[in-house]
Amino acid sequence: MAMWYEKTGKNQDVVLSTKVVITRNVRGYNFPCKMNSDECRQLLDQVDQVIDKNKLGNTWSGTRLPVPGKGDNNVITPESQLFGRRLNVLKDADRKAIYYSDDAGLSVTVNQDEHLTIRAMRAGHDPAVYNMADSLAASLERKLDIAYSERHGFLTSDIKLAGTGTVILYTVAIPAIVKSNGGLNMLRQRVNQYYWTIYPFDEQGQYASSNVYIISNISTRGVSGEEVLRRGEMLINDIIQLERGCREQFATRRKTEVSDLYGRSYGLLRYAKSVNPREALDALGWMRLYKEYDDAPEFDISWEKLNKLTQDICWEAERYSSKAKAGELNKIRANKIKTILKGDE
Amino acid sequence: MRCERCGAELTNKIIKVNGVYYCENCARDLGLDKYLNAPTELFANAFSPLDEIAGGFMKMADLDFGNTRLTCPKCGMSMREFENKGRVGCIECYNTFNEYLIKEMQRQQGESDYAGRKPGVSNDLEFEEEKQLPAEDKKEELPKAEVTAAAETSNEDKIAKLEKADLGMLTDEELAEGMKLATKTENYALAIRLRDELNGRKGE
Repeated sequence: MAMWYEKTGKNQDVVLSTKVVITRNVRGYNFPCKMNSDECRQLLDQVDQVIDKNKLGNTWSGTRLPVPGKGDNNVITPESQLFGRRLNVLKDADRKAIYYSDDAGLSVTVNQDEHLTIRAMRAGHDPAVYNMADSLAASLERKLDIAYSERHGFLTSDIKLAGTGTVILYTVAIPAIVKSNGGLNMLRQRVNQYYWTIYPFDEQGQYASSNVYIISNISTRGVSGEEVLRRGEMLINDIIQLERGCREQFATRRKTEVSDLYGRSYGLLRYAKSVNPREALDALGWMRLYKEYDDAPEFDISWEKLNKLTQDICWEAERYSSKAKAGELNKIRANKIKTILKGDE
Repeated sequence: MRCERCGAELTNKIIKVNGVYYCENCARDLGLDKYLNAPTELFANAFSPLDEIAGGFMKMADLDFGNTRLTCPKCGMSMREFENKGRVGCIECYNTFNEYLIKEMQRQQGESDYAGRKPGVSNDLEFEEEKQLPAEDKKEELPKAEVTAAAETSNEDKIAKLEKADLGMLTDEELAEGMKLATKTENYALAIRLRDELNGRKGE
C-alpha cells in the first residue's frame, strides 16, 4: 500500500502536506518527563487496551530506525514521518509505542513528549485531516481519563500546547515567493495577521536551507480548534494564490532566464553523480516554479514525484544528521534522484 | 538578651535603636521596619565599611528568589526545572506553579481563556464506538441483579478515578457529585477530601 506522502493531494503544486497533531495526557500518571519505568509500562498497557486496532493495526515499539548504509534507497521511512522531525525521541525506545494506519497517515504515539500524540497527515492540501485527528482524539478521551480542566483546557506537559493541545501544520514549497523581492516579508505579515507562524523546514544558521516552509498555528487558547482550522484554511488559500501569482510573474517577465534555469536544474538532478541537499532542493524549486509553463515538455515530471523527492530530501537531512559522511550521502542522494527521474522518462 | 519592650527572648533578628534593643515584632509595631532590612547598629558601627555590603545581602534575602525553591509535591519538579525546560511534570504542577504558568501562558498567547471543546465531544463520528448501541440494548435485557452489579462496578470505577484525580482540577459540580457518590459507597475518607476541597473554594 502506498504511504500517505506518495499519494496525490489537492493543490500539491504548492502544499506538500497537511498535518494535525493533537496532544493529550492521562490522569493518574506523571507526564513523560517525570515518569518512571513502571508508570510507562502501565500506561502503555492501558493505552494498548483502548486503541482501535482495526484502524491503527501497525505497531512499533522498542526498536530503532534502520541506520542508512551504502546503497540505501529507502531514504524516507514511515517511522521517521510518524515520529516527526525530532528523532531524539527514539531515546528510551522501550518506554514508547506507536500505533499507525496502513498508509501511516494516522497514528498515536505513546509517551513521546506527552502521553498521547495523535498525528493525522495527508498529501497536499486537505482540511479533512483535522476531523481525522479530532475524531480519534475524542474516541480516546471517551475511553481514558484525560487530564482536563475547565480553566486551562487539556493539560499538557509543554505549556505552549495547554488548551486545545492542537497544532495544524501546512508544509509548503514556495520557491517563487522566496525568490521574489520582498515576497517572504509580505507572506510573514499575512501569516502574523492570522496569529499563525511561518518557519523554514530546515535552517542553516539564520538562513533557510530550502524553499520549503512550515506554517502552523500558535494559539491553543482563546480559540476553538475549528476556528484555528478556519483561519488556517483562509491563510493557506492566500498563500496558494500568492505563490501561483509569483510563478506566473516569473514565467512571463523573465521567461528566458527561468526556462534556462529549469533546464539546467533538470540536468543537475538527472545526471549529477553527487549532489548536496541544498543544491538538490534549489533545483527542485526551479522545476516546481516553471513546471506549469514549460512549452516543450521534454522532461515532464509528475507533481507526485516532485513532491516525493522534495520531502525525501528534506526529511533525509534530519534523519541522517552527521552520522554518515557527507560525500558518501551526496552520491547516494544523486543516485536515488536519478533513479526516480528515470522512471518518468 | 531580651526585647526591652515586650521581654521576649531575642533570637535571630536584633534591632537596636538609640541604644534600646527590640525584637522583630516590636520593631514592626513601632514603625521601625527600615531597621529590619539594614544591619543592626552593632554590626554597622563595628564594621562601618561593610555596612553597605551587609545591607545589600540582607535586602537580597527579601527579593523574590523564593520561586526557585518552589517544588511540586507530587512529581518533584522544581520551579527552576520548569523555567529551564518550559515543561511541567504532572497535573499537580498546574496548581503548584499556577501563578507563573498563567503569566507564561499570557506572555505566549495573550490573555485568553480556554475556548475549545470538552473531552470526548467531537463533530466527526468516524471513531464513535460502533458497539455502543448494541451494548445499551443488552443492558435492558440483563437481569436486575446483573444491572445492579454493573452499576456498582461503574461506581467503583468512578471512585477509583476520583481517588487518583487531582482535586484542584475538578469543577464544583464534579466535586459535589463525587462527594455524594463517595458517601453512598461509604468511602468517607474520599468524601471528606472532596468536601474540604469544595469548602476551601467557597472560602476563597
